[in-house]
Amino acid sequence: MTDWLHHRKVLAALGTTGNGGDAVTSPDLSEKIALQYAVEQFLYREAALLDDRRFDDWLALIADDIHYWMPIRRTVTVENLHLEYAKADGMAYFDDDKSDLKMRVDRLRLNSAWSENPPSRTRHFVSNVRILEVKGPEIALEAAIHLYRSRLNDKIDHWIGKRRDRLRRVGDGFQIVERHIFLDQTVLLSTNFSSLF
Amino acid sequence: MRDDDRRLDATDRGASDGGGIAIPDVSAGLIDRSIYSDPDIYQLELQRIFARAWNFMCHETQIPHAGDYFINYIGEDQVIVVRGADDKVRVLLNTCRHRGNALCRAELGNTKTFVCSYHGWTYGLDGALIGVPGKADFYRNAIDQAKWGLAPAAQVDHYKGFYFATLDPAAPCLFDYLGDVGRVGIESMLNEGDVVSLDGVQKNVIDCNWKIAVDNLFDWYHVKVSHSSASSVGFLNQRLMMPMTQMVMLGELGHAIGGPMVTAEQQAKLDALSDAERLAIDRLADAERAKATPVERRPLRTTATREAMGPVGVRAIGHPNIFPNLWISTRGLQLSLRLPRGPGRTEIWWFTVMPKSFTDTQRRAAKKFITHAFGPAGLLEQDDGENWSQSTRSSHGVASRRYPHNLQMAMGQDEVLVDPSGQKRIETRVNEHAQRWTYRCWAEWLRARDWPELLATRSPAPTGRI
Repeated sequence: MTDWLHHRKVLAALGTTGNGGDAVTSPDLSEKIALQYAVEQFLYREAALLDDRRFDDWLALIADDIHYWMPIRRTVTVENLHLEYAKADGMAYFDDDKSDLKMRVDRLRLNSAWSENPPSRTRHFVSNVRILEVKGPEIALEAAIHLYRSRLNDKIDHWIGKRRDRLRRVGDGFQIVERHIFLDQTVLLSTNFSSLF
Repeated sequence: MRDDDRRLDATDRGASDGGGIAIPDVSAGLIDRSIYSDPDIYQLELQRIFARAWNFMCHETQIPHAGDYFINYIGEDQVIVVRGADDKVRVLLNTCRHRGNALCRAELGNTKTFVCSYHGWTYGLDGALIGVPGKADFYRNAIDQAKWGLAPAAQVDHYKGFYFATLDPAAPCLFDYLGDVGRVGIESMLNEGDVVSLDGVQKNVIDCNWKIAVDNLFDWYHVKVSHSSASSVGFLNQRLMMPMTQMVMLGELGHAIGGPMVTAEQQAKLDALSDAERLAIDRLADAERAKATPVERRPLRTTATREAMGPVGVRAIGHPNIFPNLWISTRGLQLSLRLPRGPGRTEIWWFTVMPKSFTDTQRRAAKKFITHAFGPAGLLEQDDGENWSQSTRSSHGVASRRYPHNLQMAMGQDEVLVDPSGQKRIETRVNEHAQRWTYRCWAEWLRARDWPELLATRSPAPTGRI
């Protein structure tokens, strides 16, 4: 609890809870910046592992109790914005636990994973990283993502959206406990999702 | 490869009719690649297949309340499927009668009226034009609103909660259109009683001709190769993925079911079990079920389903396609539409339904399987799209397109067996009967100028050597 309260103060100092007036003068600022730096560096390293096809190293960053989820998003009117995402107990594009992600990673090692043979070239961009909450060892954040996929000679996909991650401090680093991906496309203009987000 | 003898006669060449297009002869299992790329053939498909057929719209539980709507397509015509204040489900063209603007730009929702964003013409849930801004000032009241309602589909009907619509008033009623084979397909979703739609339709676009996506659903030959990675990582076992015993049912107008079967011997053992025993076995984990039952593949069908599907239909556990483009998939838990978006582009939509009687555990297990099998991220489906896309692309090559596709597997080597009930089936191994049937019927649809001609010229469900 103490830890949580401490971090709330840190967040307030950074202005992420809506009161950023004293950000510059806060004694906690250096700690906040250090946390932001550590989280961002982690996300960049994780993105590079996927782009470099180091999938086993990536899987090592995934907590055993992960929920990896991409809900179905729909074009709706302003009056019906409550229907924009399919319900949590409805269908999703991804709704994975660790064993599911392991299956996806294992598949990518095979020559017969045709959708990735020849392999796609991907670039994972992560930006606008905002730490939303720090609770004990866990850090909730939101980021803007852009995943670019170049496939064969002339297939290009851009997937842009918002990601809500929950990280857990483990030793000197982090593991991903929750990854919820909210893409901005509704009808997906892609042949498939053979890449990981 | 074009056969000028098949050229439609001159009376068929109207400005709005695609007549005069050569329809390749596909009867020998050789498929001219032009049918995957020719824009004229594509236009003819929109007119003579999609605008004529009964097209799947949605399940009744997707639009349970007055004002609930869901947007779907009949060919490239966008339609609003909407439940009225009178509880009636209507299908209306999503185009304002004034200047053609799309009235509804959302995929689903609830509304009281449809208001055009261009000039404000307003329509009721029944499609009636109920508001025209400036009616007195600008039109001087010289507009007959009763004549300018939204254009409705010619016929709308449902079979046990699954709604379909056709734009052709001459189409036979839905029940007759589906025929025995189409109805067996829908009944396969109702084994445990009424179903309810699971929120969320997966939608993605593949650069392929719609027919390649359709004929693939009967293709149990590609499974072992295309989807080998899914079995290598333990998602599905090889034995379930490519069973040796297969059954094919061919229905008039192009409906078909192809894939694994329950043998007559296995069915006799199942018939000796009570429904309660069958459902109990069905709910066991895979490994236990394999030991406890004569049929490893679920679901074990109930007595009521056996009555509804008939003695042959109940043994068909493969993939039904309701012509032209509705695949009833995933052991009766999903429906997949292959929606044409031009000769080289197809939207794939996945609807999911679950029996109301499912426990939370069953629903979770079924959802987990479905999410990981199909849809763009599915461990099975991921590997399909690129195959279809490359097959479509090669139909543009000047030299490549001289070489027809070969769908001749098991041609002339099997026999259609007729059950005393009248149901027909082929019991065989992996084959391409259903694909050949689909293309044969496809050609008949394209050659017939209207429903009466189609009904007069369509092939009857085959019998004898096939």
